[in-house]
Amino acid sequence: MKLAFVVQRYGLEISGGAELHCRWVAEHMKKYFEVEVLTTKAFDYITWKDHYPREEEVINGIPVKRFSVTRTRDPRKFGRIQNYILENEHRLEDELKWLEEEGPYSPSLIKYINEHQNDYDYFIFFSYRYYHSYCGINSLPQKSILVPTAEHDPVIYLKIFKDLFRKPRAIIYNSVEEKNMINSLSQNMDVLEDIIGVGTEIPSQFSSEGFRRKYQIEGDYIIYIGRIDENKGCHKLFDCFLRFKDEIDSDIKLVLVGSNKLKIPSHSDIAYLGFLSDEDKFSAIEGALLLMMPSFYESLSMVTLEAWALRIPVLANARCEVLKGQCMRSNAGLFYENYEEFREALGLLISSPGLCEAMGKNGQEYFKQNYTWEVIENKYLSILNQLEKEK
Amino acid sequence: MTDKKEQKKFINKEKINIDYDNIDVADIMDQIKRKIATQPIKPAEGDLKNEAFYSSFGPSPAGSEEPSGTKAKAKKLLLRVMKPFSPLIKVMIFPVHQETQNNFDQTNRRLDFLNEKLEGELGKIHEKLDHLNQATNKRVDLAFEGLNKALEYIKLLHSLSHNIVVELTKLKIEQENLKVKTRIMEKDFEFLGRKEKAIEKEIFK
Repeated sequence: MKLAFVVQRYGLEISGGAELHCRWVAEHMKKYFEVEVLTTKAFDYITWKDHYPREEEVINGIPVKRFSVTRTRDPRKFGRIQNYILENEHRLEDELKWLEEEGPYSPSLIKYINEHQNDYDYFIFFSYRYYHSYCGINSLPQKSILVPTAEHDPVIYLKIFKDLFRKPRAIIYNSVEEKNMINSLSQNMDVLEDIIGVGTEIPSQFSSEGFRRKYQIEGDYIIYIGRIDENKGCHKLFDCFLRFKDEIDSDIKLVLVGSNKLKIPSHSDIAYLGFLSDEDKFSAIEGALLLMMPSFYESLSMVTLEAWALRIPVLANARCEVLKGQCMRSNAGLFYENYEEFREALGLLISSPGLCEAMGKNGQEYFKQNYTWEVIENKYLSILNQLEKEK
Repeated sequence: MTDKKEQKKFINKEKINIDYDNIDVADIMDQIKRKIATQPIKPAEGDLKNEAFYSSFGPSPAGSEEPSGTKAKAKKLLLRVMKPFSPLIKVMIFPVHQETQNNFDQTNRRLDFLNEKLEGELGKIHEKLDHLNQATNKRVDLAFEGLNKALEYIKLLHSLSHNIVVELTKLKIEQENLKVKTRIMEKDFEFLGRKEKAIEKEIFK
């Protein structure tokens, strides 16, 4: 069997959710099938400008075919169109115009899929909201598998997507909440589906003590890992943390890891470490009291799973249904809707090492049951077997 | 700053029951929510003053002394004046359950927060509107300048047209006069011709 993984960007440098998810699944499926990746030459997810010069290369043993992005995205124009379609009555053509503007607009990628459809058994499309998934699934629904990586953001309610979710042969969801949302939105319960998500790669060597020495972090700390921007709810996290420090007598520190697109408040108990290697990242998680997840929109938080894999509890934004659902199913995280709940939940976790330990243990069990690579691989194999039987 | 530090609370570990062998996150969160709902909130100084003010319009507590003399008259007068507002006052002095009061207070605090946020946003909008206004005014001024120039030009054109019309009228009149003169001269010429013929006839007779 030959599988094509179709994704908007692909590369070892890309740490974005869906792209990394795709790479890891492709690398694990390589053990069982012939695997290829079809993607664009883009690296920047804002403009989709061509970055990778080569059209074909091999990354971690997987052949990657890259196609040019014919038209880069103009963020201002895109913003105008998106505001228009979200706030006004509009036609289907407007949504298609939005989709083209969102990109990555690469008709050559779609042309290749059409012309070489017989070379592959299945095309696994990642991220429902981009041009490659919409056009690819519409041109080859009988060979398509969709991994939507959908968040509860307003664009999912566009008319073009309602039909899209009914077309592929199978859909692989990241969470129960994502499945329920898409099922209720497009009534696509007759499409073969499963909730799989993604595993995680834990480095063989890491040490929280080494991390503390390297970055001079002393005492208890809570950690946030990911893009530091408003979309991830970091501004609210700063507000809540500073208010907590102002009101409560506690030495707790906030450690921030990831690329920064927001002004970080200057405070002696907030430490920004920038982008870390995997080894340092896992060391940082292991040494933390808990992981903060202030994001409003998540399809599946990989860093949450990583924290649970290391027996670290989570304090998540309850307004994100996926995170709240994961915390409740695993019994490995508390969640907050407002500052008062943040204060009480954080206070409780700081003052109860027993609770952190018990929740961490729950998290690790939940991770082992649902998110080890063995479980993920078996679920993918099962869904592909079912499709083969239906042929 | 020191006062603020002194006011800081220690983490309150009370009131959350946890079964460490069987953690139930939903139950812990319910307990946290209940704890937040019952947290005592100090009434603001202003509220106390209001309470004291409005309580003077409520029924007298049992056993309290009835006001007399000038006080009684003043009270009667005040009650008469305030009669139209009595339903509102009753609502305001109505005894409220502590929990409901806490909820009110929390709601008020949230509203205050939202209000502050809204004021901030409005401030930003005002700032932007001021910028917009200034830019618009500049453009309007430029447009007016252009319009004034155009107006002057039109006035000049109008004056020129008027003068041309006047001159043309004068020329027309002149032309008419000349035509009349020409006709007179033609008639004079005819008359002189006829006179010439008559004289010739008389000479050659």
